[in-house]
Amino acid sequence: MDILIYGTTEFSYLVAARLHQQHNITILHDSGELSDKFGNLDVSIVEGSGGDIAVLEKIEAEKSDLFIACSTIDEANIVACWTIKKIADTETICFIAKAALYKNFSSITHNQYQTRYDIDSIIWPEQLLTQDIFRIISVPEALDVEFLAGGKAKLFEYRIKENSTIVDKTIKDCHFPKNVLIPGITRDGKLFIPNGATTIRLHDKVVFIGTSMALDTLAADFFKHDRKVKTVSIIGGGSVGFMLAEKLERTGIKVKLIEQSPQRCAFLADSLKKTLVLQGNGTDLELLESEAIAAADACICTTDNDEKNLLCSLLIKQLGSRRIVTRVGNIQNYELFEHVGIDVVVSPKASALTEVLNRIQAQKVDVIALIEGGKGEVLRLTLPDTFQEIRIKNMQLPVNAIIGVIIRGHKVIIPNGENSLQARDRLKIFSMKEDSEKIKEFFFA
Amino acid sequence: MTSPFITSALGIILLVFGGIVLLPIGVAAIEGDYRSALPFLAASAFSFALGLLCRWHGRFCKNFDSMRHNEGLLIVTLTWIVTAAIGAIPYLFFGLSPVDAYFESVSGFTTTGATILTDFSLYPRPFFFWRSLTQWLGGMGIIVLFVAILPQFGVAGRRIFFAEAPGPTEDKLTPRITHTAKALWLIYLLLTVLEVLCLVIAGMPLFDAVCNSFSTMAAGGFSPHPLSIMGYQSSAVTWITTLFMVLAGTNFALQYKCFIKGKAKPLITNDEFRFYLTIIAATSLLLAYFLFRMPGGTVSASLRDSMFQVSSIITTTGFASADFALWTVPAQAVLFAVMLTGSCAGSAGGGVKVVRVLFVARFLIREIDQIVHPRAILPIKIDRVTIQEDIQRQMLSFLLFYLVLLLVSGFAVTMIEQNAAVGFVGTAATIGNIGPGFGEIGPMGSFGNLHLATKVIFTIDMIVGRLELIPFLAMLSPEFWSFTRN
Repeated sequence: MDILIYGTTEFSYLVAARLHQQHNITILHDSGELSDKFGNLDVSIVEGSGGDIAVLEKIEAEKSDLFIACSTIDEANIVACWTIKKIADTETICFIAKAALYKNFSSITHNQYQTRYDIDSIIWPEQLLTQDIFRIISVPEALDVEFLAGGKAKLFEYRIKENSTIVDKTIKDCHFPKNVLIPGITRDGKLFIPNGATTIRLHDKVVFIGTSMALDTLAADFFKHDRKVKTVSIIGGGSVGFMLAEKLERTGIKVKLIEQSPQRCAFLADSLKKTLVLQGNGTDLELLESEAIAAADACICTTDNDEKNLLCSLLIKQLGSRRIVTRVGNIQNYELFEHVGIDVVVSPKASALTEVLNRIQAQKVDVIALIEGGKGEVLRLTLPDTFQEIRIKNMQLPVNAIIGVIIRGHKVIIPNGENSLQARDRLKIFSMKEDSEKIKEFFFA
Repeated sequence: MTSPFITSALGIILLVFGGIVLLPIGVAAIEGDYRSALPFLAASAFSFALGLLCRWHGRFCKNFDSMRHNEGLLIVTLTWIVTAAIGAIPYLFFGLSPVDAYFESVSGFTTTGATILTDFSLYPRPFFFWRSLTQWLGGMGIIVLFVAILPQFGVAGRRIFFAEAPGPTEDKLTPRITHTAKALWLIYLLLTVLEVLCLVIAGMPLFDAVCNSFSTMAAGGFSPHPLSIMGYQSSAVTWITTLFMVLAGTNFALQYKCFIKGKAKPLITNDEFRFYLTIIAATSLLLAYFLFRMPGGTVSASLRDSMFQVSSIITTTGFASADFALWTVPAQAVLFAVMLTGSCAGSAGGGVKVVRVLFVARFLIREIDQIVHPRAILPIKIDRVTIQEDIQRQMLSFLLFYLVLLLVSGFAVTMIEQNAAVGFVGTAATIGNIGPGFGEIGPMGSFGNLHLATKVIFTIDMIVGRLELIPFLAMLSPEFWSFTRN
């Protein structure tokens, strides 16, 4: 697949790094310094404007299958997407970071405008992150929450705590509800795919996949699901903090939001209906204590500064918060954050990457969720018409992977070894990131 | 400030007003009472003469586009003072003393509804028609009327439009102020016609229906019947009047959007309107309870009278469906409380205005919250929009001035009349453009027996209250009067 990326932001590096070994990637960038790290990638780099037809024609942009515009300027991205549409019917993905512009494109009615906007998909990383955080904190205690097959199946990730009844038991002795699988466990920062004989240890992070109902039963039986989320504290009132507060207050959750800039505070207080906006520094211990920030059911640190987020999270943890969700800007800091004991680490770039991988439909396989900062992936694929029916236990997968969900017509099946796969089944497969290519080859060879 | 400018603008207004004063002659003609036409002819002639004089002094200036803020304020204030004076001329012919005539006229134009009349049988129908008509003209605002019908004002129209009703919110319905003024008069006229029809169907004579409708929609309170609405002894009339009083106290711009444009949402979701209805409902129930406890109270009568009386006082109309001066003290206290609230901004009513009361309530709640959360940013929102600092300051200072004026005037009248009830209730009733107070100035009483000085003070109160203090306060500054002659 030929992919053309416009812009040399952190994100374009991330996409290129993830895809450069399987796809032909060209990076187009405006004149100026180019970060050294792009030199380590097996891609071609061209200087020029994304809105310049001559440049696009020169690099044969019409032959590319996908165009991703992710420069820092929204308007430049939009123009670049429009320009390439003038010369070829390439699929376009446009990055936007302004609420007003995003609303133009994302509104359901935008096809009814006099002339269409003509951009295939719009990505606003902050907005995706907001959705991710919202989904995670809506399930008490969960570290990660993903919806599969339109919500009929779900994926939860939990940490095993001291008082848990399943510590030091093997998976087959745990008596989990029917229709629940454990496709992955993270122990000491390493993700692996367990089998029935694997023992669950203290502080393991366990991924569960299953039907919606079964997972709810699991949550109620094995993890405290009795207390609903009623109060949330947010540190940082940027786009994510603002959109999250808006979303939360609409569901009736009480929100306290700390923001440093007085001007931004005024904007937030004007725009939000019930949220209590506090002006101050998120690392001001006195403020955190007097406003009882840590007493909330969930605390979310979402400033645009990793150092500050880290310090904030640790302070709040020390004050006794039960649940902390922290935003990380630089993906390289992800593991450090996890290491110092922050439960949920989220990143707008990871959210956006999932979304982009989702759109790259190579061989009818796409990634619908990244687990553990991208170490694991949930793949979605549809079996070809020529596929021979086979029982799962008789199937010789070349790598370790778990078929989490089979969707056959309207039926959602959480399979075990006895189930069989049929042609046209839609599968959700959990695998390690490095193995996903081999899985594609296995099913479509 | 240039005086030719002001006199010229005033001249135009007086020339048109000279025409309006002729309207009661129509009633005189229908009645065949040609002698009653004379006072109005005289007033009209005087208005024309004065208007021409002003025009001549103003060198027949036609372009007012360079009008400044202070000049706008002065034109508005002078318009009210002078038109009320012309409106008082006919009363002189019916035997009222000059001060009484001016009091009655100001009470009409400011839609107060306080009367100095004691015996209604002495006067002919054109007289009562003129009283109600002055209220109807003053209800939507004389300036709004002139902005609507006189194209001369152009850009300056905008200035004087907002100088007349300096409410905290600027609702313009249309980009051009003339169209807004026309739209407001349209909805006002339609509601008036509707009320006349309803009252006639309910069995009221046509003449009374017209006069009462004029007074109701203007939130005025003059009735051709000496016993006010009580005199018609009809539940239907009482309920119809209640409904239209509530409408008269509602923002006309929002009613225009609701009834003419078919967009009900701005009205229904309006914070002020909701608060206004809540106050009416809550105080009516409380009052109904007190009335029910009085000897001979029935559920239906107490509910009807409490709803009517609360609406009448809160919208600053001042009609009476019962002599509330005879009610128990708790019942009167409830009425006095709503007297201080007033109607919605942008309505025909006067008073402090519900939006300001709502603002103060939220301001106080904010202060309490701020003590609990010292670092919180807590904006005060009305209609989901934050009130800017300068508007907050304006509203608070308005309330403070209102209070100061209430106290100063109240003390002065108390000393003159040696009666605190007349002093303070009377002041509240006149500044708020409500009309009747309690005791001897109650709905069945009259302001006629008061001391001359009291009448003068109340007359000033009425004008100042109608113009919402600001033009009056501006005029207290010596800097305001720095004229330049060119």
